[in-house]
Amino acid sequence: MILRTFLLIPLMFLCGTAFASTAEAEKRLQSAVTDVLAIATTAPDRAALQTSLRPVLKKHLSFEAMTRRAVGPGWRQFTPPQQEEAVRLFTTLIIRTYSDKFTPGEHPEILFKAATSPAPGRVEVPTTILYQGGRYSVTYRLEEAESWRITDVVIEGVSLVANYRTQFDAEFKKGGAGAVVGALSQSVENPK
Amino acid sequence: MKSNLLVLAAAVLIFTSCSSNPKKPAQPAAASVGDKSDGKSVRAASDLDEYQVETIADPLEPLNRVTFSLNHGLYTYLFRPISKGYEWVIPKLLRQGIHNAFENVKYPVRVVNDTLQGNFERAGLETGKFVVNTVVGVGGLGRPSDHIPALADVPAGETGQTFAKWGVGHGAYLVLPVLGPCSLRDTVGLAGDYALNPVSWVTIWYGGYAWTLAIPSTNTVRAMPNQMKMYEAATKDALDRYLAARSSYVQYRKEAALK
Repeated sequence: MILRTFLLIPLMFLCGTAFASTAEAEKRLQSAVTDVLAIATTAPDRAALQTSLRPVLKKHLSFEAMTRRAVGPGWRQFTPPQQEEAVRLFTTLIIRTYSDKFTPGEHPEILFKAATSPAPGRVEVPTTILYQGGRYSVTYRLEEAESWRITDVVIEGVSLVANYRTQFDAEFKKGGAGAVVGALSQSVENPK
Repeated sequence: MKSNLLVLAAAVLIFTSCSSNPKKPAQPAAASVGDKSDGKSVRAASDLDEYQVETIADPLEPLNRVTFSLNHGLYTYLFRPISKGYEWVIPKLLRQGIHNAFENVKYPVRVVNDTLQGNFERAGLETGKFVVNTVVGVGGLGRPSDHIPALADVPAGETGQTFAKWGVGHGAYLVLPVLGPCSLRDTVGLAGDYALNPVSWVTIWYGGYAWTLAIPSTNTVRAMPNQMKMYEAATKDALDRYLAARSSYVQYRKEAALK
């Protein structure tokens, strides 16, 4: 009996914290979205949008985790300077991709749905975005490190990280870490 | 004592199933070379295979790549200017109305597939949505169903999705001329959607009269801006546009099959 009670306590504790953290992650995401929208609706043009979004996105997104997972198991064969370079380049690329999704002056409306916690320290927040007459399903994945950070954005089932995972994998198979960093820097330098 | 042991076993099971995702086998801590970030190296090391490279048979890759780059040229030099022109000439409100009306008319595509999937609840919701939008939304120009929570986000049924639910696999990845990323299964699905779409019935019944071209052409053009935006969103800033589009396609269709 004592053993049973003893076992229940950590379980209850786990459930309790999971619930609290879901709310915390949602709050964090909402503040991120508010920050981004404030910039997106006031920026005069695309270049300004990108410059002013950069610090905000760096605060709310975990670029290191995103890069690592997009590269996959091959990450272990990157030297520390290569890892750093890959994170730096991927950060720039994601910020550019993300900024391009906004048309200055257009105001998206975001409806938040009930968040779920697929694993401890992880939360997924599904949303519906009403933008330019369309309805899009967008799920944000968040993770708790020092604070809650966004680690992936899934638009209509298409994950940003999974999309690059396929591309990085192809480069890695061609020429290892060097090929991945090379392809990244080429993409960053020559916007298509 | 026996029951205590059972509780212990159950608790261990619950605990382990909560804390570790079966897709992510724990990596040995020694594998976290170079991970200096935040003292969470064990978790950091085990998340490397969190995302799998999604697979689809692509035996025609060389041919697909050629078609893909021809399509890319077509999109860039023809479809994009047409989309921009359409957006420039037709006011936003009217564009939205035209878009809504063509989507509303596609009702048979959705309701037939919902029914074929045995999803009668969704077929009913679609019917409710169609009635509301046709009657209150004046022939589907408006979309008042957006303001009714039960009808706002009804996932759209289509033929490829029906095949997926019946357990039919993709077959092979195909890049169709003009239409773009597809698969063997979904090409058949597209043919089904075409046959079920009243817009095509006009051509089938009254084909030969020049005026019948106007309706399907408008339908093609009104859908273009959105499709161009989707294509750009999926391939812009890619290291390899072809792979980015293929990956997006596979993920998008996987999601559609789950809806």
